[in-house]
Amino acid sequence: MNGTLALALAEVRRLGRNKRYSIFSVALPVVLYLVVAPQARHISAYGVGYAAYYMIAMASIGAFSGALTGNAQRISQERKDGWVRQLRLTSLPANAYVLAKVIASMVTTVPSVVIVLALGRFYGGVHLATWKWLAIAGIIWLGALTFAALAVAIGYRFAPDTVQPVAMLVYFAMSILGGLWFALAGWMQKIGQALPTYQITRIGTGLISGGTVSMTSIGIILGWLAAFTMLAVLAVRSTAETL
Amino acid sequence: MSSGLMAADGTPIVAFEDVRKVYGGVRAVDGLSVELRRGETVALLGPNGAGKSTSLDMLLALRRPTSGRIRMFGSDPYHAVKSGRVGAMLQSGGLMPEVTVRELVTLVAGFHPRPLPVDQTLRRAGIAGLAGRRVDKLSGGQTQRVRFALAIVGESDLIVLDEPTTAMDVETRQAFWANMNAEVAGGRTLLFATHYLEEADQAADRILVINQGRLLADGTPAQIKARAGAKRISFRLDHLDPADLARLPALVHLEIRHDLVQIQSTDSDRTLYALLDAGHRPREIEVFSLGLEQAFLAITAADNNHTAAPARTAYAHAGEAT
Repeated sequence: MNGTLALALAEVRRLGRNKRYSIFSVALPVVLYLVVAPQARHISAYGVGYAAYYMIAMASIGAFSGALTGNAQRISQERKDGWVRQLRLTSLPANAYVLAKVIASMVTTVPSVVIVLALGRFYGGVHLATWKWLAIAGIIWLGALTFAALAVAIGYRFAPDTVQPVAMLVYFAMSILGGLWFALAGWMQKIGQALPTYQITRIGTGLISGGTVSMTSIGIILGWLAAFTMLAVLAVRSTAETL
Repeated sequence: MSSGLMAADGTPIVAFEDVRKVYGGVRAVDGLSVELRRGETVALLGPNGAGKSTSLDMLLALRRPTSGRIRMFGSDPYHAVKSGRVGAMLQSGGLMPEVTVRELVTLVAGFHPRPLPVDQTLRRAGIAGLAGRRVDKLSGGQTQRVRFALAIVGESDLIVLDEPTTAMDVETRQAFWANMNAEVAGGRTLLFATHYLEEADQAADRILVINQGRLLADGTPAQIKARAGAKRISFRLDHLDPADLARLPALVHLEIRHDLVQIQSTDSDRTLYALLDAGHRPREIEVFSLGLEQAFLAITAADNNHTAAPARTAYAHAGEAT
């Protein structure tokens, strides 16, 4: 386990040095929040003020883009380059690589979530009880785990030349239909309800407006987490011979 | 280390037992049986596509044999690799980008149950001067040396190298083998794949010649040369009968172009006397010794011909192909 953690730490250090990763997971949500939140001061979404909704949406999108750009493409590339084979020759357990990727993804999500939530508090004027802040951060972090599993599945399933369009397609479909760019209504909301991205936002807004968490929403997120984890395990297994 | 001493009495530390690997109908490795003993420096020699990399991949638990069994240090390859007793460098082994050489070597040394000091590893691999450089900014030869460093980060009993000196120039290659010899001087076993014949001749004390996934020859460089027919006889002969010539004793390989005959023989005297005793009077007789390179080409060429046609005879119509 120590080796796996050392590898995870190295992955965190690498992600910290990667500009593309920082732009997608931190700069993009921060800039969008700074620009959009003041414009929509008098609008509300999902029963809360726009500044509160958009804070949750931007924190989620930071976690989501971080997982996909940080992990899916890198896993695919590192498999092709042979780094994954190289690691197989060490004393690390066979699953160390994937575990380290997921751990690193979870760790590097923290700053982006904390920064966006802090922006919501001090720039967007969102005032909440401490436990609600923690619950919101916790649910977004659970979302980050779901996205990390998805990233592993995509990274193992697709070669580097196809992984980018696939990741982008999944990214835009799940973020737009999940209501991370704008609050949904009508038929889009009906579709979106099935997605973990939508349910994360709704749990967050529900916590703010009523202080309750819908068990159905948690169930849907856990269902996606289970499905993505299974896809990831299948994808990793199917490449066991070639790595 | 106690199990290392047990292996010193001649128990094989690596054993391939009738190992086969089939990919989509192609037999990449076709019934390979071989044993390695402690302290040996063994070259796996063969042309591209001979099955060298596939054999090493199976030894390192990266691929599973279709049939047969591989044992290493008394266990299966996977557990032997995980125990840290094997240090390996693959042709296809990549490096983690975006970190420095020192960070990478330190990281991988940390995975080894018996790591060596990082500075020592950097020095031995000849990359002490590159320690602060980023891994993804290195040249091909430099990358190759970093890969080598990852194979020697810990105290392993067996070192496996797949074509370690490709992408190296002659000087770097010589420096590499000087370092390598120091590595194995302490009783470590070395198995390396190569298609450089002089490399196998100079570095190895045992050579395994492999072609089309099969083991063709196994012996010291001197034995390999003898086995291949260390002498070549060439002469001209009118009205020759190929089938007649193919029956000559000690003949390993026969090539006929018009009236020019070239024979590779393990015993040139015997072959030549038999030719004369049969009543032939060849002209322009020449007999000369072959180097390992020609011996190796002869062994694999004979094998390729043997698979294509039963007779060990090649008719060259253009050029002096061997």
